[in-house]
Amino acid sequence: MEIVYVYTKKRSEFGRQCNFSDRPAELHVDILPDPSLAANFVERDPCDVPTQCTQEMSEHEVNTERFEHETRGINHAEGGWPKDVNPQEMEQTIRFRKKVEKDENYINTIMHLGSLMEHCIKQNNAIDIYEEYFDGEEVVEEAEEQPSAKTINVFRDPNPVKRTATSLSWHPDRNRKLAVAYSSLEFQRTTQDMNYDSYIWDIENPNKPEMTLKPVSPLVCLEYNPKDSHILIGGSYNGQLAYWDTRKGSQPVEMSTMEHSHRDPVYKVIWLQSKTGTDAFSASTDGQVLWWDIRKFSEPTERLVLDPSKKGNLENALGAISLEFETTMPTKFMVGTEQGLVVSCNRKAKTPAEKIVCTYSGHHGPIYALQRNPFFPKNFLTVADWTARIWSEDIKESSIMWTKYHSANLLDGCWSPMRPSVFFTIKMDGTLDVWDFLFKQNDPTLTLKVCDEALYSMQVQDNGRFIACGSQLGTATLLEISSGLCTLQRNEKALATAMFERETKREKILEARHREMRLKDRSRSEQSKEDDGNMDGEESAEEMLARSEKEFFEMVGAEQKKKEKEEEEQLDKEEEEDYFE
Amino acid sequence: MEEYHPGDEVAFNPDEASNSVKECIEGIIGGVDYSQNKVNQWTATIVEHSLTQLVKQGKPFKYIVNCAVMQKSGAGLHTASSCYWDTTTDGSCTVRWENRTMYCVVSVFAVAVAL
Repeated sequence: MEIVYVYTKKRSEFGRQCNFSDRPAELHVDILPDPSLAANFVERDPCDVPTQCTQEMSEHEVNTERFEHETRGINHAEGGWPKDVNPQEMEQTIRFRKKVEKDENYINTIMHLGSLMEHCIKQNNAIDIYEEYFDGEEVVEEAEEQPSAKTINVFRDPNPVKRTATSLSWHPDRNRKLAVAYSSLEFQRTTQDMNYDSYIWDIENPNKPEMTLKPVSPLVCLEYNPKDSHILIGGSYNGQLAYWDTRKGSQPVEMSTMEHSHRDPVYKVIWLQSKTGTDAFSASTDGQVLWWDIRKFSEPTERLVLDPSKKGNLENALGAISLEFETTMPTKFMVGTEQGLVVSCNRKAKTPAEKIVCTYSGHHGPIYALQRNPFFPKNFLTVADWTARIWSEDIKESSIMWTKYHSANLLDGCWSPMRPSVFFTIKMDGTLDVWDFLFKQNDPTLTLKVCDEALYSMQVQDNGRFIACGSQLGTATLLEISSGLCTLQRNEKALATAMFERETKREKILEARHREMRLKDRSRSEQSKEDDGNMDGEESAEEMLARSEKEFFEMVGAEQKKKEKEEEEQLDKEEEEDYFE
Repeated sequence: MEEYHPGDEVAFNPDEASNSVKECIEGIIGGVDYSQNKVNQWTATIVEHSLTQLVKQGKPFKYIVNCAVMQKSGAGLHTASSCYWDTTTDGSCTVRWENRTMYCVVSVFAVAVAL
């Protein structure tokens, strides 16, 4: 290391002394004006300076050498006769012929010419040059592409206080517009400045909604009338229904009266198939399903109380969250309830008791979506709690097919209108799953994370290609899925039919077996009752509850420990790798 | 860089400087008439060449060279300067040159690099 000594000295203390003095002003240039020189110059006023701000381009012309051509044709009727022979006169021609035939060269030339001609004719017949290739072949099918989906457009709620997009409805013709209902479904979370409006968006313009609908209370569900695309019906948070005509403006044309409406938010409203096209029915968690004619909104035309004991008792009634109606089966409809039951009903029944035909149980939570398969109306899809299930109408005890239990709640789902084996579900963690049960049954075919917040509603367009999903913060996203997922594959219908039948049969067999076992158990227990006369092993309800709680927590703990162990193993493996590197 | 001779305490020689500058001007705009397109180029070249010549003399000076070219159109031109420096070592010189169509005025200021 160098040893350095730094010493400082002011610049003024060494070097040359600055002896500055003033040098007075010196005139450098003194050129006097000379007007005579100005005579050499002419003032140019005004001064036009043209400029052109264009691309500099050059123009070239090329002309090829002229090629003269003429179209000529030959029409050979008869000819070749020498000048003195008149082809019309038979005598002359015969005479000439005889003369030529006597010529020596005649035969040789004919032979030579004949063979040439034969060659050409043969060539002509060998290949048909006007043949159409590939005439009858079918269009080759595209190679299997990876299923994919991409976001086309995002429509955001323009208000500062964001509300959930609870329902979406596509415009019935041409699917150019999307009606979205906004409301806040969280209990008592509506703030003072929350806007009640719902919007109709034009899918080409995500910046501003095309039209606003101004209800009295936020709309929970909204549907376009499939017969008249200007009419929309909406069910609102306070239980009333209202209908709009888009030609008439943002205010509802008419609203149902408070006394006769529902007492809880109207969760679903569906248009019915009728001659007038003005009938609809609505469902709400107050346990009622009401039928309306929009021309006379003061009172519902019909009322059904969802009492499973069939007594019409409103206190026992199950709250309805979703409705299902298929226009091909106009007498039947289904209701999905908050309690996890699907109730199948008959419209044409005379008494309210007969209206409820049967119930399907199997879900643990409210049934958010319920839809029949458009190709196989006997099978329907339900989306509730953490699973989606497919049911067959005949089997009431359990579903025939179901997905595994996911980690997030499933909030909506629907079938694809183009493919019988494809359906879509959306989850609380903001993902959209596309399921194709002919391709893969354990997992969705395609999982797509649409947004970070929960997705509350979805609706697929009639062509099966575009899906709109609405989220908790009011963002509606428009997705396009790959063509493989929305075009009917070969044999798909047959395969789907076979699959449904197989699963239905399996469930039937299982049901029968269960029934047998139950009968056997009952007879056995009756026998043992006679022997023992004492029922021990019958736990009280509380003990059973405590036992099941303990089991549940043990299972959860075991799962957690398994996860932790897996993570530890993963870390150990990584450490080992680092160590060896 | 040209060699610098330490210990040389020479004052500025205006004659020598003015001669070399005059030669430069002659070389650049010697026989041409005033042309608006080229005048910028001329002034730059004059200044550069003059400076190069001055630096070649190898004296320990800081130079400032100023050049003005004016068309002879009947207007008058007057410039002056005043300096506050060490009159023993520093100096300046001005060269005036003209032809039929223009005037050229080059001023050189030299300030000694004091040690």
